[in-house]
Amino acid sequence: MSQMSADRLMIKRDVPFPLYDIDVLSATDDELKQLSSELGLSLSLDEMKVIVDYFKKEGRNPTDIELQSLGQAWSEHCCYKSSKNILKEFVFAIDHPDILSRGDAGVMVFDDDYGYALRIESHNHPSAIEPYGGAATGIGGILRDVICMGAQPIGLVDPLCFGPIDTDKELPKGIKHPRYLASGVVSGIRDYGNRMGVPTISGGFFFDDKYTGNCLVNVGCLGIVKRDVLMKNYAGGPGEVMILLGGYTGRDGIHGVTFASADLTSTSDKDSRGAVQLGDPITKEPTLHACIEVAEKKLITGMKDLGGGGLSCVIGEMALDAGCGADVDLDKVPLKEAGLAPWEIWVSESQERMMVTCKPENVDRILEIFDMWDVPATVVARTTDIPHTRIFWKGELIFDMDLKFLTGGPVYDRPYELPKTYCKCRESFPILPSNNEVILKLLSDLNVASKEWAIRQYDHEVRAGTVLKPMVGKMNMTGPGDATVLMPVLGRWKGLAAAVGCNPWFCEGDPYKGGMACIDETCRNIVAVGARPHAFTDCLNFGNPEIPERLGVFREAVRGLGEICKSLGLPIPSGNVSLYNEAPGGHHILPTPMILGTGLIDDVRKAVSADFKEEGDRIFIVGSTKDEMGASLLFRKFGGIEGDVPGVDIDNLKKLMDKMLSAMDKGLVRACHDCSDGGMAVAVAEMCISGDIGAELDLRDMGPLDDARKLYSESNTRWIAEVKEKDAKAFQDIMGADAVCIGRTGGDSLKVASAGVSLSVKDMRKAWNDPVWNIMGGAQ
Amino acid sequence: MKASDVKVCVIRIEGTNCEDEMAEAFRMVGAAPEKVHLKQLTGQAPADMRRSLEDYDILAFPGGFSAGDYIRDGAIFAARIKSAIGPQVRKFVEAEKPVLGVCNGFQILVELGLLPAMEDCMTPVPTAALYTNDSARFECRPTLLRNDNRGKCMFTSAFKPKQVVMFPSAHAEGKLMSMDPKFVEKLEENDQVVFRYVGPDGKAPVYPWNPNGSPSDIAGICNPAGNVMGLMPHPERVLTRFTHPDWTRGYTSEEGDGLLVFRSVMQKLVK
Repeated sequence: MSQMSADRLMIKRDVPFPLYDIDVLSATDDELKQLSSELGLSLSLDEMKVIVDYFKKEGRNPTDIELQSLGQAWSEHCCYKSSKNILKEFVFAIDHPDILSRGDAGVMVFDDDYGYALRIESHNHPSAIEPYGGAATGIGGILRDVICMGAQPIGLVDPLCFGPIDTDKELPKGIKHPRYLASGVVSGIRDYGNRMGVPTISGGFFFDDKYTGNCLVNVGCLGIVKRDVLMKNYAGGPGEVMILLGGYTGRDGIHGVTFASADLTSTSDKDSRGAVQLGDPITKEPTLHACIEVAEKKLITGMKDLGGGGLSCVIGEMALDAGCGADVDLDKVPLKEAGLAPWEIWVSESQERMMVTCKPENVDRILEIFDMWDVPATVVARTTDIPHTRIFWKGELIFDMDLKFLTGGPVYDRPYELPKTYCKCRESFPILPSNNEVILKLLSDLNVASKEWAIRQYDHEVRAGTVLKPMVGKMNMTGPGDATVLMPVLGRWKGLAAAVGCNPWFCEGDPYKGGMACIDETCRNIVAVGARPHAFTDCLNFGNPEIPERLGVFREAVRGLGEICKSLGLPIPSGNVSLYNEAPGGHHILPTPMILGTGLIDDVRKAVSADFKEEGDRIFIVGSTKDEMGASLLFRKFGGIEGDVPGVDIDNLKKLMDKMLSAMDKGLVRACHDCSDGGMAVAVAEMCISGDIGAELDLRDMGPLDDARKLYSESNTRWIAEVKEKDAKAFQDIMGADAVCIGRTGGDSLKVASAGVSLSVKDMRKAWNDPVWNIMGGAQ
Repeated sequence: MKASDVKVCVIRIEGTNCEDEMAEAFRMVGAAPEKVHLKQLTGQAPADMRRSLEDYDILAFPGGFSAGDYIRDGAIFAARIKSAIGPQVRKFVEAEKPVLGVCNGFQILVELGLLPAMEDCMTPVPTAALYTNDSARFECRPTLLRNDNRGKCMFTSAFKPKQVVMFPSAHAEGKLMSMDPKFVEKLEENDQVVFRYVGPDGKAPVYPWNPNGSPSDIAGICNPAGNVMGLMPHPERVLTRFTHPDWTRGYTSEEGDGLLVFRSVMQKLVK
């Protein structure tokens, strides 16, 4: 029935190619809704009515390509209509003198000659449907965001969230097994990242039942750019030429952004397979070389990648931000196959494509450089001084819209409801087995256990600048590191540290505190290697914003993030929001503000790794351990209920970061590791594993809490530090009461007499090392 | 020849991705490296970018995934070279100019017939292959190597006999195989074995110390003349101590182990 009413409105224009005028001017409300759904626009009735009003004023009906373009531009993915006001209130205003650009990637000062680019985004929905292609094209997209700043990508960072990979529960209809998804996603990242020659240097795996129906694939990238080569993402002015570079355009990846801006359903697999693109790193790799070359030779005025929305977004934005319009010859776009309708070409998200703008006199030289690398490059548009996008197909005008209207999508203040948060007043402390058993169980929890299975499939050393690797310690006995440290400019000792911080369980228990904790954790990781936190990029993965409870959680988490970043004076020059992460059957993900943080270290030769170095050294805990058991790994594992979620005292964080960095700069800290999942017990155990050295602890000086809380509390702003006996006084002088000596390294086991802990390093390594290998296969 | 007169052709096509660090390695030992696209050597480039292989003193094949390596690794790059500049490459090798291949570069040298090259300096068909790792996975991990060359290889002249060094590995196909049942014996006879994987304290390397299952733990070989060397691990990734995996556990020199390879070949050329 609905099919018939929409057909009535579609009037084929008498031209030798598929083009329809859509009679919205005569459509009823029901017909507008049907149009939106049948054309895959994902626009609400109110939004459709705004469009009708515009065309009433124009005195004509829109073409199919115009409506499709609006569907792209006004999607949540492209215009952030539900999140923009909240982000404006809490995050956007944080400024910093080191911000060089807030373009497609943020760019911060690295040193006097160089800037570094950073950006993270999501590729969740495509990866839930087709994990290999979804993840690979996610990598492709984030690389383009960095390349179009004129920057050479130097590191990929991929935090991933899945359901438990060993689950034997029955899965909801249309949902793929988490082990299959994890395997496909890791293969996709490996095959794309390794082929591009960009090291995958950091990441993270988060496992929880709540991700079973909607996995998260977040992809981050860092780049390095000479400051005088830093590109803009828009044209230099009217009268310039737009050159489309890289891959051909096809039917793959149509409606990717509208698909990303709706909940997954049990039939998403069937319906939206066409929205997942195909990746081709061996088109991208030479494109990278050629793009950097034309930027360095100053032949171009602007560069932007084709991501969500394809040509429909990139041409308008490159023109609008330059105060121009654009005339497009759409029939010039090189295609993978013949017979695409103009609207399909306009919105296709086929991969490996970039757009550059240039002065007409530089076109030939640019085409020559791309030809050298066998990368297709085609002149497809030129900028004008009329603020309209006009599209021509073999001379026929098929699209003529005001750019401000087209890109000025709606912004909403949707209703929200503040979430109930966990509280000590409702805490129920679980009954625990022996501490030996607890520690082994925590070490073998999938969220703590070794991710070596994935890490070693990624080339994390290509470009020869990886100073601290994702895994640290004795060769082939390594344990987890805190942050990765890169030497981005060969021959210079200045380093860039990168770390991921996120605690979705804290965010579920108390999104405001959780948002802060994500930043605290990122800072801890960066400080643990001796670098000073400098900037963040965030990927905010949340549920459906049209549900007030979900939007309330989003708002609180963003408020937490914003407050702590503002107080620390650290900016978020780039980021991404991914909403509608809901699975069939009303399940939704944990609120997941994924943070990628960067830090600077003047001399990488002073970097500190987490592995215990030698027997007989002192072990300190830095920061105070509180009765904050809410959402801790201990409670999740052993059935604890509520409890306070760890909060952050921002002044204390600032003070302790300064002190730790000062002690590290003086060379007083031999090993350092942050306390996170599983508390200080797991932190110390991990340092034993990577250093292949035991430790003997005495917790008495940690204060009045019981041993279980001392061992497993996940209070923020804490580190474990190994200090030589001869340096202990100097270290204590700097740290004051903020560091407490809790024991010494030595022997071949971890011992805590008062808590009955006695575990051999060998047994701990096995508990930590084996679980993921055993599930994913390949254990040797 | 002065060091700065040593011109190094760091050759690349699409998918070659270790050329920056390869060039940096030669720069650090004083040579003059240039990254050169194959099309620059075959005349398919604008006039100002054209180059001639004979003008170079060293030819270096960096790692990567040349042409994507969707078929047998290195096969496409090798085929393109053979068809366009095969005779020039043969001349280069016959003149005993040094040729280095790392990782994908090693795979390309084998596909080109420049290694092991027992019958001829450039055999018309490959006589060995780098097979899929025993683990069937791409593996990025540190590996210890022992210099087992007795003096023929131009790229190990600065090594002590049996010296053990750390070069990291990163590959999915690194197991050196041949149809010839006496392959390893012949390599030994000709002094073609250059590097073997070893375990800690010089012990026999079980996985992961031998990361791919290569027979006789062979990681790198040279041709009978000693001027062509290929190896799977990456010396150009350890030019300083600070990209070694365990430098935070203590070190005596700020130099990375990889520098020795480049210094060796320069010793041979620079008088």
